[in-house]
Amino acid sequence: MKICISSIGKNLSSSVDPRFGRCPYFLIVDSEKAKKFKVIENTGTQAQHGAGVTAAQIIANQKIDIAISGNFGPNAYIVLSQAGIKCYTVSGSISVKEALQLLDQGKLQQIIKASSGHPDNGFVAEKK
Amino acid sequence: MKKGKIRKIAISGGKGGTGKSTFSVLLANKLIKEGHKVALVDVDVECPNDYLLLNQKLRKIEKFVYAKFPKLDKRKCRKCGLCVKSCKSNAIFQAPDRYPIFLQELCSACGVCQLICPYNAIHTKRVKTGKIFATCVKKNLWLVTGQAKAGLEETGPVVAQVKKFALDFAKKKDIDTLLFDTAAGVHCPVIQALIGIDFAYAVTEPTPMGAYDLELLLSLSQKLKIRTKVILNQANLGNKKFIEKVVSKYKTQIVNTIPYSKNLAKAYSNGQLLDFKYNLKLK
Repeated sequence: MKICISSIGKNLSSSVDPRFGRCPYFLIVDSEKAKKFKVIENTGTQAQHGAGVTAAQIIANQKIDIAISGNFGPNAYIVLSQAGIKCYTVSGSISVKEALQLLDQGKLQQIIKASSGHPDNGFVAEKK
Repeated sequence: MKKGKIRKIAISGGKGGTGKSTFSVLLANKLIKEGHKVALVDVDVECPNDYLLLNQKLRKIEKFVYAKFPKLDKRKCRKCGLCVKSCKSNAIFQAPDRYPIFLQELCSACGVCQLICPYNAIHTKRVKTGKIFATCVKKNLWLVTGQAKAGLEETGPVVAQVKKFALDFAKKKDIDTLLFDTAAGVHCPVIQALIGIDFAYAVTEPTPMGAYDLELLLSLSQKLKIRTKVILNQANLGNKKFIEKVVSKYKTQIVNTIPYSKNLAKAYSNGQLLDFKYNLKLK
Protein backbone atom coordinates (compact mmCIF):
# COMPACT_ATOMS: atom_id res chain seq x y z
CA MET A 1 0.00 0.00 0.00
CA LYS A 2 1.40 3.41 -0.97
CA ILE A 3 0.84 6.31 1.38
CA CYS A 4 1.44 9.97 0.62
CA ILE A 5 1.91 12.61 3.34
CA SER A 6 2.06 16.37 2.85
CA SER A 7 5.24 17.53 4.53
CA ILE A 8 7.13 20.72 5.22
CA GLY A 9 10.49 18.93 4.90
CA LYS A 10 12.20 16.11 3.05
CA ASN A 11 12.46 13.40 5.71
CA LEU A 12 10.34 11.29 8.04
CA SER A 13 11.03 13.49 11.07
CA SER A 14 9.66 16.56 9.25
CA SER A 15 6.30 17.93 10.36
CA VAL A 16 3.15 17.12 8.44
CA ASP A 17 2.11 20.22 6.48
CA PRO A 18 -1.48 21.11 7.42
CA ARG A 19 -2.12 22.24 3.84
CA PHE A 20 -2.53 19.66 1.14
CA GLY A 21 -2.52 21.77 -2.03
CA ARG A 22 0.21 24.19 -1.04
CA CYS A 23 2.63 22.00 0.93
CA PRO A 24 6.22 22.09 -0.37
CA TYR A 25 6.81 18.31 -0.43
CA PHE A 26 5.03 15.01 -0.54
CA LEU A 27 6.67 11.99 1.09
CA ILE A 28 5.60 8.71 -0.45
CA VAL A 29 5.96 5.68 1.76
CA ASP A 30 5.35 2.07 0.85
CA SER A 31 3.88 0.26 3.84
CA GLU A 32 5.56 -3.00 2.82
CA LYS A 33 9.03 -1.41 2.71
CA ALA A 34 8.70 0.62 5.85
CA LYS A 35 11.97 2.51 5.84
CA LYS A 36 12.11 3.46 2.19
CA PHE A 37 10.42 6.63 1.05
CA LYS A 38 10.40 8.96 -1.90
CA VAL A 39 10.28 12.78 -1.85
CA ILE A 40 8.26 14.58 -4.45
CA GLU A 41 8.26 18.32 -4.80
CA ASN A 42 4.85 19.95 -5.06
CA THR A 43 5.25 22.16 -8.11
CA GLY A 44 1.78 23.67 -7.97
CA THR A 45 2.17 25.77 -4.82
CA GLN A 46 2.24 29.14 -6.59
CA ALA A 47 -0.98 28.67 -8.56
CA GLN A 48 -3.61 31.35 -8.03
CA HIS A 49 -6.39 28.80 -8.23
CA GLY A 50 -6.39 25.04 -8.32
CA ALA A 51 -3.27 24.27 -6.29
CA GLY A 52 -5.13 21.35 -4.74
CA VAL A 53 -6.00 19.86 -8.12
CA THR A 54 -2.41 20.15 -9.34
CA ALA A 55 -1.15 18.52 -6.15
CA ALA A 56 -3.74 15.75 -6.48
CA GLN A 57 -2.63 15.17 -10.06
CA ILE A 58 1.00 14.88 -8.98
CA ILE A 59 0.28 12.26 -6.35
CA ALA A 60 -2.36 10.42 -8.37
CA ASN A 61 0.31 9.83 -11.00
CA GLN A 62 2.30 8.02 -8.28
CA LYS A 63 -0.59 5.56 -7.93
CA ILE A 64 -0.95 5.99 -4.21
CA ASP A 65 -3.74 4.48 -2.08
CA ILE A 66 -3.87 6.82 0.91
CA ALA A 67 -3.22 10.55 1.35
CA ILE A 68 -2.55 12.16 4.73
CA SER A 69 -2.65 15.89 5.41
CA GLY A 70 -4.04 18.44 7.85
CA ASN A 71 -6.76 19.56 5.46
CA PHE A 72 -8.01 18.78 1.97
CA GLY A 73 -9.69 21.55 0.02
CA PRO A 74 -12.96 20.86 -1.80
CA ASN A 75 -11.45 20.44 -5.27
CA ALA A 76 -8.59 18.27 -4.05
CA TYR A 77 -10.98 16.05 -2.15
CA ILE A 78 -13.31 15.63 -5.14
CA VAL A 79 -10.56 14.56 -7.49
CA LEU A 80 -8.71 12.38 -4.97
CA SER A 81 -11.84 10.42 -4.17
CA GLN A 82 -12.56 10.13 -7.87
CA ALA A 83 -9.12 8.57 -8.22
CA GLY A 84 -10.00 6.11 -5.44
CA ILE A 85 -7.53 7.61 -2.99
CA LYS A 86 -8.56 7.60 0.66
CA CYS A 87 -7.96 10.83 2.54
CA TYR A 88 -6.99 10.93 6.21
CA THR A 89 -6.45 14.02 8.33
CA VAL A 90 -4.13 14.66 11.24
CA SER A 91 -4.56 17.45 13.76
CA GLY A 92 -1.89 19.45 15.53
CA SER A 93 1.80 19.52 14.76
CA ILE A 94 3.14 16.00 14.39
CA SER A 95 5.92 14.42 12.35
CA VAL A 96 5.43 12.30 9.25
CA LYS A 97 6.69 9.27 11.20
CA GLU A 98 4.15 9.81 13.98
CA ALA A 99 1.36 10.25 11.43
CA LEU A 100 2.27 6.90 9.88
CA GLN A 101 2.23 5.21 13.30
CA LEU A 102 -1.20 6.68 14.04
CA LEU A 103 -2.45 5.41 10.70
CA ASP A 104 -1.08 1.95 11.53
CA GLN A 105 -2.88 1.98 14.87
CA GLY A 106 -6.11 3.01 13.16
CA LYS A 107 -6.15 6.32 15.02
CA LEU A 108 -6.45 8.62 12.04
CA GLN A 109 -9.81 9.84 10.82
CA GLN A 110 -10.81 9.23 7.24
CA ILE A 111 -12.62 12.24 5.84
CA ILE A 112 -15.87 11.94 3.96
CA LYS A 113 -16.40 15.62 3.27
CA ALA A 114 -13.96 18.33 2.23
CA SER A 115 -13.08 21.37 4.31
CA SER A 116 -13.44 24.76 2.70
CA GLY A 117 -10.19 25.78 1.06
CA HIS A 118 -7.76 27.25 3.54
CA PRO A 119 -7.04 25.61 6.87
CA ASP A 120 -7.27 28.69 9.06
CA ASN A 121 -10.70 30.03 8.19
CA GLY A 122 -12.58 28.28 10.92
CA PHE A 123 -14.00 25.27 9.09
CA VAL A 124 -13.05 21.76 10.04
CA ALA A 125 -13.42 18.64 7.95
CA GLU A 126 -16.43 16.56 8.86
CA LYS A 127 -15.30 13.20 10.18
CA LYS A 128 -16.71 9.76 9.84
CA MET B 1 -11.32 64.69 -29.53
CA LYS B 2 -12.46 63.12 -32.80
CA LYS B 3 -16.18 63.00 -33.27
CA GLY B 4 -17.65 59.59 -32.65
CA LYS B 5 -14.65 58.38 -30.73
CA ILE B 6 -15.49 57.03 -27.30
CA ARG B 7 -12.98 57.85 -24.59
CA LYS B 8 -12.23 54.93 -22.26
CA ILE B 9 -10.85 55.71 -18.83
CA ALA B 10 -10.13 53.13 -16.13
CA ILE B 11 -10.11 53.80 -12.41
CA SER B 12 -7.97 51.29 -10.55
CA GLY B 13 -5.33 51.46 -7.86
CA GLY B 14 -4.27 48.08 -6.53
CA LYS B 15 -5.31 48.30 -2.89
CA GLY B 16 -8.92 47.85 -1.87
CA GLY B 17 -10.80 50.58 -0.04
CA THR B 18 -8.73 53.49 -1.33
CA GLY B 19 -11.69 55.24 -2.94
CA LYS B 20 -11.81 53.97 -6.52
CA SER B 21 -15.60 54.05 -6.62
CA THR B 22 -15.81 57.37 -4.77
CA PHE B 23 -13.40 58.95 -7.21
CA SER B 24 -15.25 57.37 -10.16
CA VAL B 25 -18.47 59.06 -9.10
CA LEU B 26 -16.76 62.41 -8.45
CA LEU B 27 -15.11 62.20 -11.86
CA ALA B 28 -18.37 61.25 -13.58
CA ASN B 29 -20.03 64.24 -11.95
CA LYS B 30 -17.27 66.57 -13.11
CA LEU B 31 -17.49 65.27 -16.67
CA ILE B 32 -21.26 65.62 -17.01
CA LYS B 33 -21.01 69.17 -15.69
CA GLU B 34 -18.50 69.83 -18.47
CA GLY B 35 -21.10 68.71 -20.97
CA HIS B 36 -20.00 65.11 -21.57
CA LYS B 37 -22.27 62.12 -21.84
CA VAL B 38 -20.88 59.55 -19.46
CA ALA B 39 -21.42 55.92 -18.59
CA LEU B 40 -19.88 54.65 -15.40
CA VAL B 41 -19.14 50.96 -15.89
CA ASP B 42 -18.76 48.91 -12.73
CA VAL B 43 -16.39 46.11 -13.73
CA ASP B 44 -15.75 45.00 -10.17
CA VAL B 45 -17.97 42.09 -11.14
CA GLU B 46 -17.34 40.02 -8.01
CA CYS B 47 -18.78 42.74 -5.82
CA PRO B 48 -20.22 45.65 -7.80
CA ASN B 49 -21.29 48.51 -5.55
CA ASP B 50 -21.38 51.70 -7.59
CA TYR B 51 -25.13 51.35 -7.76
CA LEU B 52 -25.27 51.72 -3.98
CA LEU B 53 -23.20 54.90 -4.08
CA LEU B 54 -25.54 56.27 -6.72
CA ASN B 55 -28.64 55.17 -4.81
CA GLN B 56 -29.80 52.93 -7.65
CA LYS B 57 -31.32 49.46 -7.71
CA LEU B 58 -30.25 46.64 -9.98
CA ARG B 59 -33.58 45.72 -11.49
CA LYS B 60 -33.70 45.17 -15.18
CA ILE B 61 -31.21 42.68 -16.58
CA GLU B 62 -30.01 43.92 -19.96
CA LYS B 63 -28.02 40.87 -20.86
CA PHE B 64 -26.80 37.57 -19.48
CA VAL B 65 -23.16 36.62 -19.70
CA TYR B 66 -22.38 33.10 -20.79
CA ALA B 67 -19.23 31.00 -20.89
CA LYS B 68 -18.58 27.81 -22.79
CA PHE B 69 -17.36 25.15 -20.44
CA PRO B 70 -15.83 21.88 -21.64
CA LYS B 71 -17.86 18.70 -21.69
CA LEU B 72 -16.35 15.30 -22.39
CA ASP B 73 -17.62 12.88 -25.00
CA LYS B 74 -16.53 9.58 -23.45
CA ARG B 75 -17.09 7.66 -26.66
CA LYS B 76 -14.34 9.63 -28.35
CA CYS B 77 -11.92 10.15 -25.44
CA ARG B 78 -8.79 7.95 -25.48
CA LYS B 79 -7.59 9.13 -22.03
CA CYS B 80 -4.37 10.54 -23.55
CA GLY B 81 -4.11 13.30 -20.92
CA LEU B 82 -3.20 16.11 -23.33
CA CYS B 83 -6.09 18.26 -22.06
CA VAL B 84 -4.80 17.98 -18.49
CA LYS B 85 -1.35 19.20 -19.54
CA SER B 86 -2.80 22.05 -21.60
CA CYS B 87 -4.94 23.53 -18.82
CA LYS B 88 -3.44 26.66 -17.27
CA SER B 89 -6.24 26.96 -14.72
CA ASN B 90 -5.57 23.55 -13.13
CA ALA B 91 -9.19 22.73 -13.85
CA ILE B 92 -8.72 19.26 -15.35
CA PHE B 93 -7.80 16.19 -13.37
CA GLN B 94 -7.18 12.68 -14.53
CA ALA B 95 -6.60 9.66 -12.36
CA PRO B 96 -4.37 7.01 -13.99
CA ASP B 97 -6.29 5.12 -16.71
CA ARG B 98 -9.51 7.04 -16.05
CA TYR B 99 -11.40 9.68 -18.01
CA PRO B 100 -10.38 13.29 -17.24
CA ILE B 101 -12.76 15.28 -15.07
CA PHE B 102 -13.40 18.99 -15.55
CA LEU B 103 -13.80 21.28 -12.55
CA GLN B 104 -16.06 24.08 -13.66
CA GLU B 105 -15.35 26.33 -10.67
CA LEU B 106 -11.71 26.56 -11.68
CA CYS B 107 -12.26 26.72 -15.45
CA SER B 108 -11.82 30.04 -17.25
CA ALA B 109 -13.58 28.71 -20.37
CA CYS B 110 -10.56 29.58 -22.50
CA GLY B 111 -11.21 26.67 -24.88
CA VAL B 112 -7.62 25.41 -25.10
CA CYS B 113 -8.51 21.84 -24.08
CA GLN B 114 -11.07 21.69 -26.86
CA LEU B 115 -8.53 22.89 -29.43
CA ILE B 116 -5.80 20.55 -28.26
CA CYS B 117 -7.85 17.33 -28.10
CA PRO B 118 -6.70 15.16 -31.04
CA TYR B 119 -9.92 13.08 -30.95
CA ASN B 120 -12.47 15.93 -30.85
CA ALA B 121 -13.75 14.47 -27.63
CA ILE B 122 -14.28 17.80 -25.90
CA HIS B 123 -17.47 19.68 -26.66
CA THR B 124 -18.79 22.73 -24.88
CA LYS B 125 -21.87 23.58 -22.91
CA ARG B 126 -23.12 27.13 -22.45
CA VAL B 127 -23.44 28.17 -18.82
CA LYS B 128 -24.67 31.48 -17.40
CA THR B 129 -21.82 33.17 -15.55
CA GLY B 130 -23.10 36.69 -15.01
CA LYS B 131 -25.56 39.49 -15.55
CA ILE B 132 -25.33 43.01 -16.93
CA PHE B 133 -27.56 45.82 -15.70
CA ALA B 134 -27.93 49.32 -17.14
CA THR B 135 -29.63 52.28 -15.52
CA CYS B 136 -29.97 55.93 -16.40
CA VAL B 137 -28.95 57.75 -13.22
CA LYS B 138 -29.65 61.26 -14.39
CA LYS B 139 -29.43 63.29 -17.58
CA ASN B 140 -26.23 62.33 -19.42
CA LEU B 141 -25.16 59.77 -16.82
CA TRP B 142 -25.66 56.05 -17.12
CA LEU B 143 -24.54 53.22 -14.91
CA VAL B 144 -23.61 49.85 -16.39
CA THR B 145 -23.07 47.12 -13.80
CA GLY B 146 -21.51 43.74 -14.36
CA GLN B 147 -22.18 41.01 -11.84
CA ALA B 148 -20.54 37.59 -11.89
CA LYS B 149 -22.32 34.54 -10.60
CA ALA B 150 -21.51 34.11 -6.91
CA GLY B 151 -18.68 31.67 -6.37
CA LEU B 152 -17.28 31.90 -9.89
CA GLU B 153 -13.49 31.81 -9.57
CA GLU B 154 -12.43 33.09 -12.98
CA THR B 155 -14.23 36.37 -13.50
CA GLY B 156 -11.96 37.89 -16.16
CA PRO B 157 -14.15 36.69 -19.06
CA VAL B 158 -17.22 38.29 -17.44
CA VAL B 159 -15.36 41.62 -17.29
CA ALA B 160 -14.47 41.32 -20.99
CA GLN B 161 -18.12 40.84 -21.92
CA VAL B 162 -19.31 43.70 -19.71
CA LYS B 163 -16.79 45.97 -21.47
CA LYS B 164 -18.04 44.87 -24.85
CA PHE B 165 -21.63 45.53 -23.81
CA ALA B 166 -20.67 48.97 -22.47
CA LEU B 167 -19.05 49.93 -25.76
CA ASP B 168 -22.13 48.96 -27.77
CA PHE B 169 -24.32 50.71 -25.22
CA ALA B 170 -22.23 53.89 -25.56
CA LYS B 171 -22.63 53.85 -29.33
CA LYS B 172 -26.39 53.41 -29.02
CA LYS B 173 -26.82 56.20 -26.46
CA ASP B 174 -24.29 58.56 -28.03
CA ILE B 175 -22.11 58.43 -24.90
CA ASP B 176 -18.64 59.97 -25.32
CA THR B 177 -16.87 58.82 -22.15
CA LEU B 178 -16.76 55.43 -20.48
CA LEU B 179 -15.39 55.23 -16.94
CA PHE B 180 -14.43 51.72 -15.91
CA ASP B 181 -14.35 51.23 -12.16
CA THR B 182 -12.16 48.14 -11.68
CA ALA B 183 -11.77 45.67 -8.85
CA ALA B 184 -8.89 45.92 -6.38
CA GLY B 185 -5.77 43.88 -7.07
CA VAL B 186 -3.84 43.16 -10.24
CA HIS B 187 -5.33 39.78 -11.12
CA CYS B 188 -7.21 38.59 -14.20
CA PRO B 189 -10.39 40.70 -13.85
CA VAL B 190 -8.29 43.86 -13.40
CA ILE B 191 -5.99 43.04 -16.33
CA GLN B 192 -9.05 42.35 -18.46
CA ALA B 193 -10.55 45.70 -17.38
CA LEU B 194 -7.38 47.59 -18.32
CA ILE B 195 -6.85 46.05 -21.76
CA GLY B 196 -7.70 48.49 -24.54
CA ILE B 197 -8.15 51.47 -22.20
CA ASP B 198 -6.95 54.95 -23.32
CA PHE B 199 -5.97 56.23 -19.93
CA ALA B 200 -6.07 55.17 -16.28
CA TYR B 201 -6.25 56.74 -12.86
CA ALA B 202 -4.76 54.88 -9.91
CA VAL B 203 -6.47 55.83 -6.67
CA THR B 204 -4.35 55.20 -3.60
CA GLU B 205 -3.91 56.19 0.04
CA PRO B 206 -0.80 57.37 1.94
CA THR B 207 0.01 54.08 3.67
CA PRO B 208 2.73 51.44 3.10
CA MET B 209 0.02 49.03 1.85
CA GLY B 210 -1.32 51.67 -0.52
CA ALA B 211 2.17 52.25 -1.89
CA TYR B 212 2.94 48.55 -2.23
CA ASP B 213 -0.23 47.80 -4.18
CA LEU B 214 0.11 51.00 -6.22
CA GLU B 215 3.53 49.82 -7.36
CA LEU B 216 2.05 46.50 -8.51
CA LEU B 217 -0.63 48.33 -10.46
CA LEU B 218 1.77 50.82 -12.04
CA SER B 219 4.05 48.00 -13.13
CA LEU B 220 1.04 46.26 -14.68
CA SER B 221 -0.15 49.35 -16.54
CA GLN B 222 3.42 49.92 -17.72
CA LYS B 223 3.44 46.42 -19.20
CA LEU B 224 0.07 47.09 -20.85
CA LYS B 225 1.39 50.48 -22.05
CA ILE B 226 -1.44 52.43 -20.43
CA ARG B 227 -0.69 55.97 -19.28
CA THR B 228 -1.61 56.05 -15.60
CA LYS B 229 -1.82 58.98 -13.22
CA VAL B 230 -2.22 58.85 -9.47
CA ILE B 231 -5.00 60.19 -7.24
CA LEU B 232 -4.07 60.39 -3.57
CA ASN B 233 -7.13 59.95 -1.39
CA GLN B 234 -7.30 60.74 2.34
CA ALA B 235 -4.15 62.67 1.56
CA ASN B 236 -3.80 64.43 4.90
CA LEU B 237 -3.63 61.16 6.84
CA GLY B 238 -0.70 58.74 6.91
CA ASN B 239 2.56 59.51 5.15
CA LYS B 240 2.71 60.85 1.61
CA LYS B 241 6.38 59.85 1.20
CA PHE B 242 5.51 56.19 0.54
CA ILE B 243 3.43 57.18 -2.46
CA GLU B 244 5.79 59.88 -3.77
CA LYS B 245 8.60 57.35 -3.92
CA VAL B 246 6.58 54.93 -6.09
CA VAL B 247 5.20 57.75 -8.23
CA SER B 248 8.67 59.05 -9.07
CA LYS B 249 9.99 55.52 -9.71
CA TYR B 250 7.30 55.02 -12.35
CA LYS B 251 7.76 58.55 -13.72
CA THR B 252 4.13 59.49 -13.28
CA GLN B 253 2.52 62.16 -11.11
CA ILE B 254 -0.10 62.72 -8.45
CA VAL B 255 -2.74 64.72 -10.31
CA ASN B 256 -5.14 65.21 -7.44
CA THR B 257 -5.14 64.92 -3.68
CA ILE B 258 -8.42 64.41 -1.86
CA PRO B 259 -8.25 65.22 1.86
CA TYR B 260 -10.10 63.08 4.36
CA SER B 261 -13.61 64.41 4.82
CA LYS B 262 -16.29 63.15 7.15
CA ASN B 263 -18.97 64.76 4.99
CA LEU B 264 -17.72 62.92 1.92
CA ALA B 265 -17.85 59.64 3.84
CA LYS B 266 -21.39 60.45 4.98
CA ALA B 267 -22.54 61.25 1.43
CA TYR B 268 -20.93 57.97 0.34
CA SER B 269 -22.76 55.95 2.98
CA ASN B 270 -26.10 57.59 2.24
CA GLY B 271 -25.90 57.06 -1.51
CA GLN B 272 -25.75 60.82 -2.05
CA LEU B 273 -22.30 61.03 -3.53
CA LEU B 274 -23.58 62.46 -6.78
CA ASP B 275 -25.03 65.49 -5.00
CA PHE B 276 -21.91 66.02 -2.96
CA LYS B 277 -20.38 69.37 -3.78
CA TYR B 278 -16.75 68.70 -4.48
CA ASN B 279 -14.60 70.66 -6.81
CA LEU B 280 -12.46 67.99 -8.44
CA LYS B 281 -9.47 69.61 -10.10
CA LEU B 282 -7.15 67.45 -12.12
CA LYS B 283 -3.69 68.62 -13.01
